[in-house]
Amino acid sequence: MTMFHFFNCAILTFGPHAVYYSATPLSEYDTLGTSVKAALVYLGTALVKLVCLATFLQVSENDGFDPYQELLKALIGFIDVAGLYFALTQLTHRNISQNHKFQAVGLGWAFADSVLHRLAPLWVGARGLEFTWDYILQGLEANANLVLSISLAALGSLIWLRKNKPKTLIPIIYACAGIVATMPSITSYLRRGLGWHFPKVVGFELFTSLVMAFISWQLFSACQRPST
Amino acid sequence: MAALKKSTELLESVYSVVALLFILVACVGLCDAAAAVDVYRLIQYDMSGSPFGSRFAALNHHAASLSFPPGADLSRTVLIIPLRELNITFVREYITQKKPLGGLLFLLPEVLSFKHGGNKQVHEKEKMKKLLAELERLLVHSNIPYPVYFAFENDDIDTVLADIKKNDAMGQPATATTGGFKLVIPTAEPKKVVSPTITNIQGWLSGLKADGDANQLPTIAIVASYDTFGAAPALSVGSDSNGSGIVALLEIARLFSLLYSNPKTRGRYNLLFGLTSGGPYNYNGTQKWLRSFDQRLRESIDYAICLNSIGSWDNELWIHVSKPPENAYIKQIFEGFSNVAEELDLKVGLKHKKINISNPRVAWEHEQFSRLRVTAATLSELPVAPELFEGTGSLFDGRQYVNETAIIRGVKLVAESLARHIYGHQGKNVQIFADESSLAVNPAYIRSWLDLLSQTPRVAPFLSKNDPFVVALKKELADHADEVNVQHENLEGIFTFYDSTNARLNIHQVASVTFDLLLLLVLGSYLIVLFCFLVITTRGVDELISLFRRPPSRKVKTA
Repeated sequence: MTMFHFFNCAILTFGPHAVYYSATPLSEYDTLGTSVKAALVYLGTALVKLVCLATFLQVSENDGFDPYQELLKALIGFIDVAGLYFALTQLTHRNISQNHKFQAVGLGWAFADSVLHRLAPLWVGARGLEFTWDYILQGLEANANLVLSISLAALGSLIWLRKNKPKTLIPIIYACAGIVATMPSITSYLRRGLGWHFPKVVGFELFTSLVMAFISWQLFSACQRPST
Repeated sequence: MAALKKSTELLESVYSVVALLFILVACVGLCDAAAAVDVYRLIQYDMSGSPFGSRFAALNHHAASLSFPPGADLSRTVLIIPLRELNITFVREYITQKKPLGGLLFLLPEVLSFKHGGNKQVHEKEKMKKLLAELERLLVHSNIPYPVYFAFENDDIDTVLADIKKNDAMGQPATATTGGFKLVIPTAEPKKVVSPTITNIQGWLSGLKADGDANQLPTIAIVASYDTFGAAPALSVGSDSNGSGIVALLEIARLFSLLYSNPKTRGRYNLLFGLTSGGPYNYNGTQKWLRSFDQRLRESIDYAICLNSIGSWDNELWIHVSKPPENAYIKQIFEGFSNVAEELDLKVGLKHKKINISNPRVAWEHEQFSRLRVTAATLSELPVAPELFEGTGSLFDGRQYVNETAIIRGVKLVAESLARHIYGHQGKNVQIFADESSLAVNPAYIRSWLDLLSQTPRVAPFLSKNDPFVVALKKELADHADEVNVQHENLEGIFTFYDSTNARLNIHQVASVTFDLLLLLVLGSYLIVLFCFLVITTRGVDELISLFRRPPSRKVKTA
C-alpha cells in the first residue's frame, strides 16, 4: 500500500515531464540528446551553486528570514541563469529549431531538478507508513517548476538567440525573466518570511507559474510575428 | 588481457558498491511516525506446559477506542483502553469468551511511572489499586492469543486517542479502506528464556566468641526476597513487595554492622542476612539457598525473620508462623516483637497457618525454613497469605503507594527486638536504636534505596547473573557484612518465560487504499488531459485525432 503511494507521488512528480516530451513535437524531432545535455549542465550548475552556497552562506541557527542572507542566496541563484545561458547558446545541437531547442533545454533542466531534489525524499518518505500530504504537494511543486523552467528557457532564448525582436518588448522580456529567475527566492521569502504553510506556497507557485507561462507564450509569439 | 581483467574486476566492485548503496537506500528511514511511545508487554509464560499471558509481541494493526461502533469486526484492530475508562467486565468478557481482537493497549496514568510521576499524589488511590489488581489477576492467569501492551499516557498518545475517538464516534472504524491510525511494533517472535538463573546473596556478621568456647555461636537470620513478578515484567518494580523488605534488611544490616564493628558491643550471635530470589515462584531461591547450607549451620540458626511487604501499613503488622503459637520459640519471638511494638505504639498480631506438605504452593518465605525444621516467622503488613503471583510487584506497586515512615517504624521494630534478644535485654525498656543517637535509623538511606528499587524492574528470569542491580545489592551488603557470598542457581520447576518485555510503539497516520486508488485515478486523468492539451496547442486538434486513429501506420513508417 505504501509502495502504491510512492508510485502515485512519482507519477505526479515525473509524469508531466514524460507527457510533455511525448505530446509536443519534441519527440518527433528526437531532441532527447539536447534534454540530456541540458540535464548535465544543470548538474554542473548545481555543483557550482552548492560550492558557492557553502562558501558564502553562514549556517543560521534559527529558521528565520534574514534579508542579507536571502539576497546572497538570490544572487547565487542567478548562477542558474548562467547555466541556462550556457545550455542555450554554447551547446552545439543538431540542427533543431529555436522553438524546440528552448523546450528541450527547459524540459531537461526541470527533470534534472526534480530528480535531484525530489527523488530521494520521495523514496525515503513516501514509502513509510505515515501518511502526509507533503509528497503530493511536492509533486505539484515539480509541475509548477516544469512550467517555470520552460518559461525561463523561452525568455532566455528570446534574449540571447533572437536578434530581431521588437524594441518595445525588450524591457518586458527582461523584467519577466528577472521575475522567473527570482522565483525560488520569492517562495523562500513567502515560506519563511511570512510563515506561509506548504499548501499555500504550492498554490502560489502553481498560479504564478501559469501566469508566467502565459506571459512568456504571448511574448514569444509577439516576437515571432515580425520575423515571419 | 590483464588490464581487461582488472577493469572487469573494478567494474564488479563498482557494481557491488552500487548494489550496497541501493540496499542502504532501501533500508533508510521508515520510522517517521506521528508518535512513538515506550510500551511494556504483558508477561508471557508457561506453567506446567500450559500457556499463559500474551502469546504474541509483534503488532501491526489499526487502532480503535472503546467507543467503537457495536458489531464492528475487531479481529484486526488494537483496542486502546485508558485505565480511567477501563470496564473490567468488558475486558473479562472479551478474554474469557476468546473474542477475536488484534491486540490490547492499556494506558496507565502518568503518575504511576516513576520517571514522570515523581512524587505526585495519585488521585483515587484505592480505587485505582483495586482496578489494577483485578485487571492484573485477569491478564496474568489467562491465555491471550494476541499482543497485550501497557503504556503510560502522555500528550502524544492522548491526542492520537482523541482523534481515534472522534473517528469512532462518526461510525468509521479504522480498517484498511478507511485509513486512520496504525499501531506498529516491529519485534521478533518472543523467544524462551533459556535456563533462567536466580541469584541469592548472603552476608555474614560474625559474633564474638568467648575465649575457649568451642561451640558454634547461634545464628539469627534476616531474610528478604528481592525479585518481583508482575503483569508487565518491565514495570514490575515492587516498591512495597518486596522493595520495602530489601530496604529494611539493608538498614538493619547497616545498624548491626555499626554495633558489631566495636568488640565491646559485638553480640554473641552470628547474623545472617539473606537476599533471596525466586520469591514469586514458591520461594524457589530460598529453598535452594537453605539446601546449600550444611547440616550444622542449619541447626545453628536460632530463628529466621523474613521481611515481606512492610511499606504501606498504618498501625498493624502481622507475624506469620507455621508452628503453633504455643511453641516456646514462637512465643519468645512474638513476645519480643510485641513488647517493642507496644513501646513504639503499634500493634503486632500473630497468624498461624499450617503447612500442607503435599501442596506445592509456598505462600510465605518462612515456610521454606519451617519445611527444613528451622524456626522462622514472616513479618508482613498482609493479614492473609497472597495467592500465586499476587503481592509480588504489581503494576500499582510503585513508589507512590509506599510510606517511608512505615518502613522506618518497621526497621525500628525488627532491629530493636533483635538487639534485645542478642544482648539479653528482653522485657527491659532500653532503646538501643533511639532517634538522634548515632544508632538511629537513617531516613535518607531508606529513601535513596527505596527510590532506586522503585525504578528497577526485578523479574528474576530477566535479571542476568551480573545484572548491575544484583552487583549493587552485593556491594551494599558487602559494605555492612564481614563476608558476602553470591549463589547462582537455575530457576527450576514448572515455569518457562518468554523475552521481549518492552518495545517501542510507532503510531502512524495512514491513508486508505481507497484514497490511493482515487489519487491514481485523478493523476491518470490529469496526465491524459495534459497530454491532450499539449498536443492540441502544439500540433492541433487534427493531430490528436489522428494520433488515436493511426498509430500502427506510423510505426510502419518509422520502421
